[in-house]
Amino acid sequence: MSRVLALCFLLLAAVIGFLHIDSRPIWAPFALTSSQVIEEVDEPENSKTKSVNKDSLPRPQSDWLPDTGAPSVHAASLIALNDGAVRAFWFAGTREGAPDVSIYSSVFDVKSANWSAPTVVMDRISAEKGLSRYIAKLGNPVPARLPDGRLQLFFVTVSIGGWAGSSISVITSDDEGLTWSNPQRLISSPLLNLSTLVKSPSIAFADGLLGVPAYHEWIGRFGEFLRVDAGQVIDKRRMSSGRSAIQPLVFVNDAQVANAYFRQTRSSGLPKQIPVSHTQNAGQTWQLSEDLAIANPNSAVAGLTLKSGARILVLNNIESGRYRLVLLMSDPKVGQWQTVEVLEDDEALPNAQRKEFSYPYLITVDGDDAHLAYTWDRKKIRHRYYSSAWLKQAYSKMQTEAQEKSQEANALSQEVQ
Amino acid sequence: MNALVMSSLIQTLALIELSITSAVVCIWALQKFSPNPFPFVANVFLVLLIANILFWPLGMDLPLVAYVRGVTGDLSIVLTLILWSSLLPSHKPTPIAFKLAVAIIALCFYPFALGLGMIDPYAWGYGSNVFLATVLLFALVCGLANWSKGVWILAIAIIAWSAHWHESANLWDYLLDPFLAIWAICTCIGMMYGRKRDKARSGYLFRPG
Repeated sequence: MSRVLALCFLLLAAVIGFLHIDSRPIWAPFALTSSQVIEEVDEPENSKTKSVNKDSLPRPQSDWLPDTGAPSVHAASLIALNDGAVRAFWFAGTREGAPDVSIYSSVFDVKSANWSAPTVVMDRISAEKGLSRYIAKLGNPVPARLPDGRLQLFFVTVSIGGWAGSSISVITSDDEGLTWSNPQRLISSPLLNLSTLVKSPSIAFADGLLGVPAYHEWIGRFGEFLRVDAGQVIDKRRMSSGRSAIQPLVFVNDAQVANAYFRQTRSSGLPKQIPVSHTQNAGQTWQLSEDLAIANPNSAVAGLTLKSGARILVLNNIESGRYRLVLLMSDPKVGQWQTVEVLEDDEALPNAQRKEFSYPYLITVDGDDAHLAYTWDRKKIRHRYYSSAWLKQAYSKMQTEAQEKSQEANALSQEVQ
Repeated sequence: MNALVMSSLIQTLALIELSITSAVVCIWALQKFSPNPFPFVANVFLVLLIANILFWPLGMDLPLVAYVRGVTGDLSIVLTLILWSSLLPSHKPTPIAFKLAVAIIALCFYPFALGLGMIDPYAWGYGSNVFLATVLLFALVCGLANWSKGVWILAIAIIAWSAHWHESANLWDYLLDPFLAIWAICTCIGMMYGRKRDKARSGYLFRPG
């Protein structure tokens, strides 16, 4: 009799379970931004623009995120606000991983070019109370914009061990980041939910859910694509495997196709280049493809697609160290990356005096400009603004050079024939 | 019910659940040092006492159970119910076949779920009909093998997952956790070692002269 009752209860559980699966949203295509919808990339400006001297354009503006008084700062991220301002997040404390590390935020007013006084968005004690568990330290904050207009902030917490013991939590704001909800924990790993981190911007799906490029760095070091609905992971897909690629940065090509560029964590003897993964079904499956032939010293890569179709990357293009940071630009039709600006370079200094320039993060406010934030020697966060005019000029110059190179190559091949 | 209340309820229920589970583990450890098993009433009293000590902050920033949760997260429903049911007067040992199955599943599951290759069995737990059907089949086999408690436990785990009882939306997290896996693997190893030892002893005693 007890067995019959148990089996009847199992039948009930089966019905409820299958109904639950049926109620889940199916995997949706990527939502396209204006830059991906435009089929024809804007032609380079007319010959007048081409002839404009680069020096006549306003140089990119640089400033610093406000000082929190903490000796160590790291992992800045940015998001555009509805009024055109930019909100930054970063963590600061006595050192990376210290219990006194808090996540700070400040708003950049584009008109006055000033940062507001920093405010604490999350500290260890608030995270503990909100998540109802012990938290030892806080890490990377990464903001996202929900389709309903609210802001979300994903951030890393660790209860035990180093960064390998990380989990991701999320808070939500209805007022552009002035106030935040209680944190929610994202569950993304079967082993005590250990070792999932976030660094790069999220991707929007057409159904309004978020695709969060995350990564593991404990037993394995690999990327994972989390499908997140209201602060809950409802699906995830592996972007790489093994111990060689973390911090995926996703470039969406169209509703189904995207590329992910990784920070390489390969063992010595293997190429120190940017690993690449590719999806053709909106992130449901990923295949590793050929490396991007740009040096990477095991450091984060930031990227962005502009309305014009141009793509930019900011990274350390060296095989070891983080003493040089450059801005690269590419026309996706051609696929070649060219260095447009060297942001920082301590190569001439002795090893001991070289500073660290790392963890770049890029956003655009109007699709034509770019805001960049990066860690400057772990002491400060530098912010750099590229106007649309400067980026357009750099893009057309890059295209002209690419055309000239291609013509030269054609001429050479004709001569050979 | 708004999301805030729901989120707060999930946190509170998770802390209560883990407080009781931690109390059961404490009683299990205490019984190891006792020559006689505790009576059921004593077990209930101890569970209530220890669980309350763990659950309430008692003047600290966080209750003690929050420190446990910081390390363990939410335990699976299967482990929770196996532990809780171990205090019942009618408790019977968990069948070795179940432990063996859990050990084999865990040994196959964790390496792939933690990054070996591009196949991630953990992702099946988010909404795979085939995976749910397999779990149901496993529960059915438990029933056919006359272990009704297993059927109840697995059915409750499936319902808890459907109701989003824990923070996780993944069915695996309701069925399996590392502590359940370690318990199953250790029990299986202990059993195999015990059999080997018994065989060796009997061989020594009855070896033809």
